[in-house]
Amino acid sequence: MSQEPPAAQPPVKARYFSTFRLILLALFAALIVVAKVALRLPLQMPGHSGIFWMAIMIVASGVVPKAGAPSLVGLTSGILAAFLGLGDGGAVDTFLSYTMVGVGTDLALLVLGRRPEKLAVAVTAAIFGHFCKFLVKWGLSLVIGAPVGFVALGLARAMIGYILFGALGGLLGGLTLLALRRAGFFAYLAEKK
Amino acid sequence: MSQRVRIAILIGVLALLAGAVLGVDALRRSTKATELAPGAIPIYVEGKLVGGFLPEDLASLEEVSFVDGEEGKTQQGWMLRDVLRLRVPERKLKPKTRIVVASSSSGKSAELTWAEVDDPANWVMFDLAGRGTLKLVSVLERLDVRDEWVQDVDRIDVGGAE
Repeated sequence: MSQEPPAAQPPVKARYFSTFRLILLALFAALIVVAKVALRLPLQMPGHSGIFWMAIMIVASGVVPKAGAPSLVGLTSGILAAFLGLGDGGAVDTFLSYTMVGVGTDLALLVLGRRPEKLAVAVTAAIFGHFCKFLVKWGLSLVIGAPVGFVALGLARAMIGYILFGALGGLLGGLTLLALRRAGFFAYLAEKK
Repeated sequence: MSQRVRIAILIGVLALLAGAVLGVDALRRSTKATELAPGAIPIYVEGKLVGGFLPEDLASLEEVSFVDGEEGKTQQGWMLRDVLRLRVPERKLKPKTRIVVASSSSGKSAELTWAEVDDPANWVMFDLAGRGTLKLVSVLERLDVRDEWVQDVDRIDVGGAE
């Protein structure tokens, strides 16, 4: 009686994002939505929420330094925000705005070499990511002819607001990443899968 | 490629995008024909219709009043400068810019400069007439008595220096 050789096990393909990292990214996405709901700045300027929004996005990009991480945070926060009914422009506007913040940051970090703990990189990526949100709002107003808040204030002023607050958010995020590194958080993360 | 070059490339892309947005917006503004809502008082800037002044707009404006010297009657309404600022870009309003407020039914019109309109001491304002139309009143010498007021205003022209 001949014995059959054991069937060859298919090679285990390493997952791009580990479960631990996916949970981290989901937490960052939830944090963006919670911050958007809970934090209110008494500023009547378009894009002022970019201060905390982009700070969280940059920290997420640093904690999970892989291509696609900011996009995933954007996508998840977009789904959450759309289902929670956030934003004045409807679910599509909310979903696309949140998602494009992540995609824009991701693209910028791809060009800049994925080192968001460098302040110049963090600020530039955050400006670009936040500006993508402005582009979505403006683009949707073009496509569906819906009135948008910043039309009354002037496009140039709105753009400056988005760039300025995106930059401040990026700076805050970059500084947070530096503080986390000093505190040994990344050494702790390296031990996790 | 150094980090500085990469950052410069991104900033360049950002500037291009911002320029494209402003360009498309300017193009839209220049090609879009302004529509006038029924009942609106048309406002023309340099002969081009820029919009209409609607009764609903009054709610957003501060109400003012003065007592006219001729009849001692309180004229109550809205400053013409506030009305114009709702529709006319600030850059079009120079001190010598000519502003003509006219009424086709009464055949009257008043010609003012922006400097006169913008001076709060002149009280260049619209009073709501009893029949629900707007009349232009002021304490300016050429507009301070009933015969000089412009009743039933139905057109405002802005543009051209004196």
